[in-house]
Amino acid sequence: MTRPRSSFTSSARLFVVAAVLFSSPLSAHTGTGLPGGFLSGFLHPLSGFDHLLAMVSVGLWGAFLGRPLIYILPVVFPVVMVAGAIVGMFDVAMPPVEIVIALSVLTLGGCIALAVKAPVVAASLVVAVFAVFHGYAHGKELPSAADPIAYSAGFVFATGLLHLTGIGLGSLNNLSYGIVATRSMGGVIALCGAWFLYRAVYA
Amino acid sequence: MRGGVLPPALLFCALGLALGCVRRRAWVPCLLVFLATLAVFLLVPMPRDYVEAIFFACWTTVIVTAASVYFVQRFGRWLPIVMSLNAGAWASAVVDISGSRLDVVKAFPCVLLALPASWIAERIGLIPIKVISSWFIAVATLAAVLQLLPVTPGYLPDHLE
Repeated sequence: MTRPRSSFTSSARLFVVAAVLFSSPLSAHTGTGLPGGFLSGFLHPLSGFDHLLAMVSVGLWGAFLGRPLIYILPVVFPVVMVAGAIVGMFDVAMPPVEIVIALSVLTLGGCIALAVKAPVVAASLVVAVFAVFHGYAHGKELPSAADPIAYSAGFVFATGLLHLTGIGLGSLNNLSYGIVATRSMGGVIALCGAWFLYRAVYA
Repeated sequence: MRGGVLPPALLFCALGLALGCVRRRAWVPCLLVFLATLAVFLLVPMPRDYVEAIFFACWTTVIVTAASVYFVQRFGRWLPIVMSLNAGAWASAVVDISGSRLDVVKAFPCVLLALPASWIAERIGLIPIKVISSWFIAVATLAAVLQLLPVTPGYLPDHLE
């Protein structure tokens, strides 16, 4: 029973390392006039470091907090993200989205690094608030896609798979020194979030 | 572009997930009803004036079918049969209005998602299925809302074309 879990964990780690190496900072929410299609939507969250780290953090924090949040957070995020996307599609004015997205990376990474044991409602609320802004950023781009439905399918499935990657990384907690490893990952994510925030505010 | 194989494929995936949550002995009547409904509705020409309503009903059916993984086990054997009938009807309607009948054949293997879903439900529980069904709910909700947008979505020709 342990072999599949460890192979999944190592695959997840490889996937995250590859995605991090081939992604560029703050590039997930800058595009307009999307070519649009399933593959385009699928690759979109992977091409932006900020979105990628936030999605992995949601799964990682959920795994850190255990049941029931290990599955509540990955369900709450896409459903609330849709609400944010709808707000974006209707072009409703919102606070600076890039700043809140950077803040989401910083906060979620910080929660993992500091091993914050948030109650179910509080953790769900934190994730839901950030999901609105991630959804908003992508909802604004969505209608311009040539095939918005395939694009949104690719985008949502990639987001979900990033959550599962985070949960897979969180399974490291079962190993010796696993908690140190996941908390260190959270620290690195929080540092990246701080850098995104600096860029979003000052650049 | 919004027709083709994707709408029935999403619908069949949602149905597959829902069937994965019920007992396997319920599958035979469900699949028979599903295939019969598909065949019958593919023979009935759909009115072209109702293209938006048919798409909206299709996305609503995806949402309800995917969400049913939360409650389908509590309603006995009739609810899966009704859902199969509903899915078959709207899948054939949407294919008739915006695709080719071959799209139904291409999308049909998605119903087989019931096999891994059932395996997961028995060995791990319903949690992974509920997580994945939330993805389908999200996609279908976005697709339904796209129809209500005040701007021209990418699948419609605009003034530049």
